[in-house]
Amino acid sequence: MSLTKKRGRGVAASWYGIARTAAMDQAGAWAEIDDGGSAKISTGVTEIGEGILTVLAQVAADELGVKPENVMIGENDTSRSPEAAHAGATRQTYMIGNAVALACRGARQKLFDVMAKEWKVDANTIKAHNGEIWSEGTNYKMEMSESIHICKKKYGVIPVAGENYTSHHTGLDPVDGSGRPWQAYVFGGQVAEVEVDTATGEVQLLGIWACHDVGKAINPKGVEGQIEGGVVQAVGQALMENYELEKGRTKSGSFAKYILPTSLDVPKVTSKIVEDPDPLSPLGAKGIGEPAMVPTSPAIMNAIYDAIGVRIKSLPATPEKILNALKEKKQNGSRKFN
Amino acid sequence: MSSMELKLTVNGQKIKKTTQSHYRLLDFLREDLDLTGSKEGCGAGECGTCSVFINGKLVKSCLVPAAKAEGAKIETVEGIGNPEKMSEIQKAFCATGASQCGFCIPGMVMAATSTLRNNPKASLEQIKEEMGGNICRCTGYQKIFDAVEMARDVINKEKSEKVFEEYDKPANSFIGANVKRIDAPSKVTGRLKYAADMKMPNMLHMQVLRSDRPHAKILNIDLSKAKKIEGVRGIVTCDDVPGIDNFGVFIEDQPVLAKDKVRYVGEAIIAVAADTLEQAKDAVNAIKIKYKDLPALYDPEEALKEKILIHEHYKTNLVKHIPIRKGNTEEAFKKADVVIEDEFATQPVEHAYLEPMAGVSYIDQDGVLTIVSPSQNITHHRHMMAKIMNLPIHKVRFIMSPVGGGFGGKEDMIYQGMLALLATKTRQPIKYVMTREEDIVSTAKRHPSRTKYKMGLTKAGRILAAEISMLADGGAYGCSTEGVMRKAAILGAGPYNIENLKMDTRGVYTNNTPSGAFRSFGALQTEFATESMLDIAAEKLNMDPFEIRRINAFVKGNITHTKQELNSASINTVLNELEKLASWEKGSPQSRGNSRKDMFSKDNRDACELGARLKTNGNGKRVAR
Ligand code: FES
Ligand code: FES
Repeated sequence: MSLTKKRGRGVAASWYGIARTAAMDQAGAWAEIDDGGSAKISTGVTEIGEGILTVLAQVAADELGVKPENVMIGENDTSRSPEAAHAGATRQTYMIGNAVALACRGARQKLFDVMAKEWKVDANTIKAHNGEIWSEGTNYKMEMSESIHICKKKYGVIPVAGENYTSHHTGLDPVDGSGRPWQAYVFGGQVAEVEVDTATGEVQLLGIWACHDVGKAINPKGVEGQIEGGVVQAVGQALMENYELEKGRTKSGSFAKYILPTSLDVPKVTSKIVEDPDPLSPLGAKGIGEPAMVPTSPAIMNAIYDAIGVRIKSLPATPEKILNALKEKKQNGSRKFN
Repeated sequence: MSSMELKLTVNGQKIKKTTQSHYRLLDFLREDLDLTGSKEGCGAGECGTCSVFINGKLVKSCLVPAAKAEGAKIETVEGIGNPEKMSEIQKAFCATGASQCGFCIPGMVMAATSTLRNNPKASLEQIKEEMGGNICRCTGYQKIFDAVEMARDVINKEKSEKVFEEYDKPANSFIGANVKRIDAPSKVTGRLKYAADMKMPNMLHMQVLRSDRPHAKILNIDLSKAKKIEGVRGIVTCDDVPGIDNFGVFIEDQPVLAKDKVRYVGEAIIAVAADTLEQAKDAVNAIKIKYKDLPALYDPEEALKEKILIHEHYKTNLVKHIPIRKGNTEEAFKKADVVIEDEFATQPVEHAYLEPMAGVSYIDQDGVLTIVSPSQNITHHRHMMAKIMNLPIHKVRFIMSPVGGGFGGKEDMIYQGMLALLATKTRQPIKYVMTREEDIVSTAKRHPSRTKYKMGLTKAGRILAAEISMLADGGAYGCSTEGVMRKAAILGAGPYNIENLKMDTRGVYTNNTPSGAFRSFGALQTEFATESMLDIAAEKLNMDPFEIRRINAFVKGNITHTKQELNSASINTVLNELEKLASWEKGSPQSRGNSRKDMFSKDNRDACELGARLKTNGNGKRVAR
C-alpha cells in the first residue's frame, strides 16, 4: 500500500422509533381463505421496493396455513381497500403486518370452528400449515383446498374477516417534549473501515459491519437488503452527494451534476440481525427501513479520524474538505480536534 | 410533427412502423411498441434504466435517435425472457433478492447480460466495472452482484440450476424464512407497469410551467398564444381551484399552482393538457408571465431575523420549534469533569429515486375523480384532494401505482392536484411524467442542518448533560418539516440515558427548494452529531468508543428523553454483537489507524487504485472507466 493511503475504523450507534411519530397510528386489513386453499388479502399497501408484499404473503400464509405463493394481495385503492395509511416511517411491517396477522386470525377461526364441527374435535386442536389442515392428536388431516370446499358447500361459511392494528402513541408536551411518541423502538450500530488517500483526499469505504435489532425478522434476506441499500444511501450522504444551491438556483439539476454512489463506491456489508421481539404486538417484528442508514455516516467520519486524525464535522467529506483539514492540521501542528 | 417510417427487428420480430421523427429509440420502443420494460430514469445517459442491445451492443436508448435504429437488430428486456421463461440472469436476480423497487432492474439485467456475453468468466471486479454505468438507489448493489456471479457460475456449469430454487422451506412457520420475493419476476422481466408506463384511450399529456425566480410577485399571466396552439385542451392556474387551495404533509401551506407569488425556483404556476406531449410543451413555452422580483432568503439564520417573510400571513418564518427539557443542564455541567462543545452540519440531499414523478388522472364510471400515482400516502392525499376539489371524500379515489423508489420523496402531493384540475376540466384522462431535471428542481430534499452541541461527562464517561440545538432549512413550503424537527428532537441525543437534556430543533422557511421527508427523517442529522461527539469525548477520556456507548446505553426500564419508560432496550446486545462481528480491537479513538490489527479482513472489498477506478468526463462527473 502506498504511503499516502491510510486506513481506519470507526463505530457509531443509533436508535429509531417505529411507525408514525407522536400520533396514533392505525392500519386495517381484510383476509379471506379462498378456493383451492389460497388466500386473498386486501389492505392499503403497494410495494415501494422494501419487500412488503412478500412479508405480508409470509404473514398471511403463516397465519392461515396456506402456501406463501398462494396468497394474493389486492391493490392499494382508497375506494376499494381498507385504509392502512402511508408507506413510510418504517411502519409497513409493524402496522400492516400486524393488521394482516389479526385479520387472518379472524378468518382462520371461522374455518377452524367449521372443521371442529366436521371432525367433532375441539377447535383448539386444529392446526394448519403450508396447504394442510389437521387436528392434533387425531388422524384427521386434509388439504386446505378440500377443507375450504367443505366449509363453503356443507356449512355455508366463507372464512373472511377484517381487523385493525393500533399503535398507541401520544403527542409531545409543547413545553418539555414529554410524551409517548412510539411504542416500539429499534437499536443499531455499525463499524466502518475506510481508506483515505492523503494525496488526493479521496475516501473509499471498504467495509461495513452492521448490527440491527429488528424485533423479529420476517424475511432475513429482505432485512439484509434494506441494510445494504440504506448503507449505500448513507455513503452518498457521507462522501459525495450534495444538492447545491446558489441564490435559490440549483447547481445540481441533473444526474450529470448530482453524483450518486455507483457499483464502484459500495463497501462490502456484513450484517447481523438481532431479534428483541416487540412485547406489545402479535408478530414481535419492528422495522429496518430508515434505521438502517442512521449510524453509517458518523461511523465513516469516526473511521476517517482514526485513519488520518482529522474530524469532518460537515457532511459530505469530499476530497477538498479532507485536503483542507489535513492542511490545517499540519499548520496547527496538532493532530487532535481539527 | 413530422413522421418517418422505420424498418427494424425488435426481439426477433420484423417491424415496419411510422413513427415521429423526433423520437429517440426509447420513445419508439415505449410509445409505439408498448415495450415499457425499458425505463426513462434520466433521459441523459446517466442512469442505465433504458439499456437495450443494438446489433448486440449495449447502448442507452435515451441517447439514440430512433432514425439511427433503421435496419438494426434491437433486443430489449422483454426479449431476454418473460415471467414464464426467464433467462439465467433473470432467475438469479429473483433468487438473490436483487430487485427492490425494480425500476433500475430491467437496465441492470441488460447490463449483466452484456457483461456475461462479452466475458462469460467475468470476475467480481470486472462485473462491478462493467455495470458501473447503471445506477440503483435501493439495493446497495450487493445482491445484484451476487446475482450476476450466480448466473455466471450456472452458465459456466460450475453450479447447477438448482441454486435458483434454494429458498427456505420451513417445516413449521414462514416467519423468519427467506421465501421468494413475490414481486421479483414482474420486475426482472420488465413486465410491471409503473405510472409512466400506463396509457388510456383519449389520454392527454400534461406539461407544467415552473418558476425561474426564487421569490417574485406574479403581475400578469398571458395565455392568449398558448390557447391557440393546436391540440391544447385545457390550461389551469390557481384560479381554477374550486376548494381550499393548500396541501402539505404536516402544515397545509402549499397551493396546487402558485398563487400571487412564487417562493422557489421550480414551483408550478400553470399546467397545460394537450393531445400530444409536444403540443403541451409548445403551449407552455408560449405562455408569458410578468414578475416583480422580491428580496429573497437563502440562509436559515437570516430567516430567523424575520426581515423578509416567505409566507406573510404566518408573520414568521419559523415552521416549527420542538423543545425537549429534562432535568437541569446548567447545574449538571458544573459537576462535569469534561465539557465539550462543537458544531456539525449536513447538506441537502436529493432522493434520486430512479422513477421520476408520474401519474394518470381520470373521472371514473361513477363520476369519481381518480388519481393513479406512486404516492406514498394515498390516505392523506385523498383527504387533501377532497378539500382542494371541494368534493365529498368518496368522490375522490387514489390508486397507488408501483413505486420506483420513494424514500419519503413521494409523500408530497406536488403534482396530483394539477392532474385533478385538468381531468375535471377536460373530462379526459391526463398523464404527467416529470423529466429528471424537472423532478430534481421541484421536489423536496433532505433538510440541510446545523447543530450546536455541548456535552458534559464524568471522567468515567457518563454523560451528565447535553444541550443540542439544530437549525434546519425547510425551504419554501412546510412539507414534512414539522415532523422532521420532531423526530430529530426526540431521537437526537441518541440511545443513551441522559438525565439532563436541553434539546431544540427549529425548521424555517427560505426561498430554497423545499425540504421534506427523507428516509431517516431528521434523526440522521442529529444522531450524526451525537455519535461524533461521543468519539471526541472517548478520545479525551482515553476510552474505547464501544465502552463509552455501553456506559451510557439505555436499558429496559430507563426513561427516554421524552420521559417514556422503555419496555425493552437492545442497544447493549447490539453493541456486543457488533463488536464481535467486526472483530473490533479495543482502544481509544486517538487516530490509531496505523497501528490497528483488526483491519484488512476479507469482509472488506478491495480498495481501488486511484485513477484506475474513476475518470472525469468533460462535465466534472466521475464515471467508471
Ligand atoms: S441513461 Fe437513459 S434514461 Fe437514464
Ligand atoms: S431496485 Fe434499483 S433503483 Fe430500486
